[in-house]
Amino acid sequence: MERQRPRIGGVLYRASAYAVLAFVLAPLAVIVWVAFFANPIIGFPPTGYTLRWFARAWASEDFRSGFLLSVQLGIAAAAISLLLGVPASIAIARHDFPGREAINTLLMAPLVVPGIVGGAALFIGYLAFELATGIQIAGNLAGLLIAHTLLAIPWTVRLVTAALLRVDASIIEAAVNLGASPFVAFRRVTLPAIRPGLVAAVMLSFVISFIDLEKSLFLVGPGRTTLQIAIMNYLEWNLDPTIAAVAAVQIAIIGLALLAADRAVGLTRII
Amino acid sequence: MAGRPPPAQPRRRIPGAPFLAAPGTLFVVLFLLLPLCLMLRYSFNRFVPGDMMREALTGANYAKFLHDPFYQDVLGTTLWVSAVSTAICVVAGFPVAYYLARSAGPQLKPALMMAVALPLLMGNAVRSAAWMVMLGKNGVLAKLAAVTGIAADVNLMYTPTAVIVAMVSVLLPFMIITVQSSLENADRAIEEAAASLGAPPLRVLVRVVLPLCSPGLVAGAVLCFVLSMNAYATPVLIGGPKMHMMAPTVYDEIAKAMNWPFGAALAFILMAVTLILTVASNVVAQRHYRKWTG
Repeated sequence: MERQRPRIGGVLYRASAYAVLAFVLAPLAVIVWVAFFANPIIGFPPTGYTLRWFARAWASEDFRSGFLLSVQLGIAAAAISLLLGVPASIAIARHDFPGREAINTLLMAPLVVPGIVGGAALFIGYLAFELATGIQIAGNLAGLLIAHTLLAIPWTVRLVTAALLRVDASIIEAAVNLGASPFVAFRRVTLPAIRPGLVAAVMLSFVISFIDLEKSLFLVGPGRTTLQIAIMNYLEWNLDPTIAAVAAVQIAIIGLALLAADRAVGLTRII
Repeated sequence: MAGRPPPAQPRRRIPGAPFLAAPGTLFVVLFLLLPLCLMLRYSFNRFVPGDMMREALTGANYAKFLHDPFYQDVLGTTLWVSAVSTAICVVAGFPVAYYLARSAGPQLKPALMMAVALPLLMGNAVRSAAWMVMLGKNGVLAKLAAVTGIAADVNLMYTPTAVIVAMVSVLLPFMIITVQSSLENADRAIEEAAASLGAPPLRVLVRVVLPLCSPGLVAGAVLCFVLSMNAYATPVLIGGPKMHMMAPTVYDEIAKAMNWPFGAALAFILMAVTLILTVASNVVAQRHYRKWTG
């Protein structure tokens, strides 16, 4: 229903909607802008523009190794959660069995348990395991990878299950009736059909792992920090264009990954 | 967020198919459920300084929380920061959600939805850094205040206000998306009927739109509240060392003080308080909703 003339209320409502959007986006825009400032101490307006803070950020051992570790963790966590999550999704989407709902709830549980609580529990669990067996996991790559995989599983299961439910079951039925083995039917029929869901799952798993702070907090060790922890440590003492450059790079990488997920299935459908 | 799974597609039963879910389920049981149980057990142990902890079955850690005003203040601060942030999110998020669901044109809408969703996954450390640049001594807002002559020397960092401002900006997208999708599902013909029967816009808003999307408002508010109760980066970086909230305190007790029993107790107190308030608000909201819609 279109109104004939703009009312004052209508104008106010539009203005407030845009003001709130600006409030959410402005800080991110500003920190990207600051990354190009020439002045070494953040101040407005800038005295000029430069790219050297990006070079300085990359030259910093903490940020470079943190970044590389976070990228590796993100990729590995996405891959393992796919290995664990896709079969689980098939069971949930295609089969009705006792305990199906309970298993689904369990697979979603890492989303519900607060990061700091889950991280603390995992840390305590690792140390108890180490005390009992002498095998160290806390502060190790394995310990971090387990935590990050845990974060990625609910998203993977949710996205892949949704993708599977959109596939017409009768097509697979037809393939099987025509003599395809379940494996061949999966590889030749189901897999191509759910590819967008898989792409979105991988992208989102990567991003969720990449930005995790709370779970990793307990599990990083000396000389082995993720990028988020490195940022956190740096920010406790400094706020300068170097950290703005790190933030700008992170915003760009995550933005690209999410745009890819968006092209695959539509981002707002995921979250 | 978890919800119940959509119904499975009817299909020929393959024996053993449920076992496909076994590896993933086992992973979650082993690395989430089991550690949580262990932590719950440890919260009843006795802490001995220098010796980590002794096996025991004592409520002393929970009693310590009840008797120490410091930790009650920590919970109190966390509760009111979360409550204020959530309330602001409800009020500020609604116009954006309504705009996205009803007013934004077909070309503008996807771009705006993206602009709302992207910040969600930018990472709390980076988003806190962004607010530090906005709020700091040489920050954007201080500069603006100086240039416009409002105030000469403002430093908003390390205040509860700053924490709430940053928290609201982190949480708003959750609120906006939840309410927007509930508005999307509500039949807009009802609003149009009310308007064409002569109800002024404000009346349509209060009597029709808000009741229709109230489940979305409640769900969004609960989500914001839970997330702010458990926030870590914002209180630490924006609130500074003097602002104590629950999640950073849990971290300090377990990782720094190595007082596992008390840290574990704090973690479960945090979860229990959050859960009780969430369930209570859902019950109250449902009662109101029934009254509202008759």
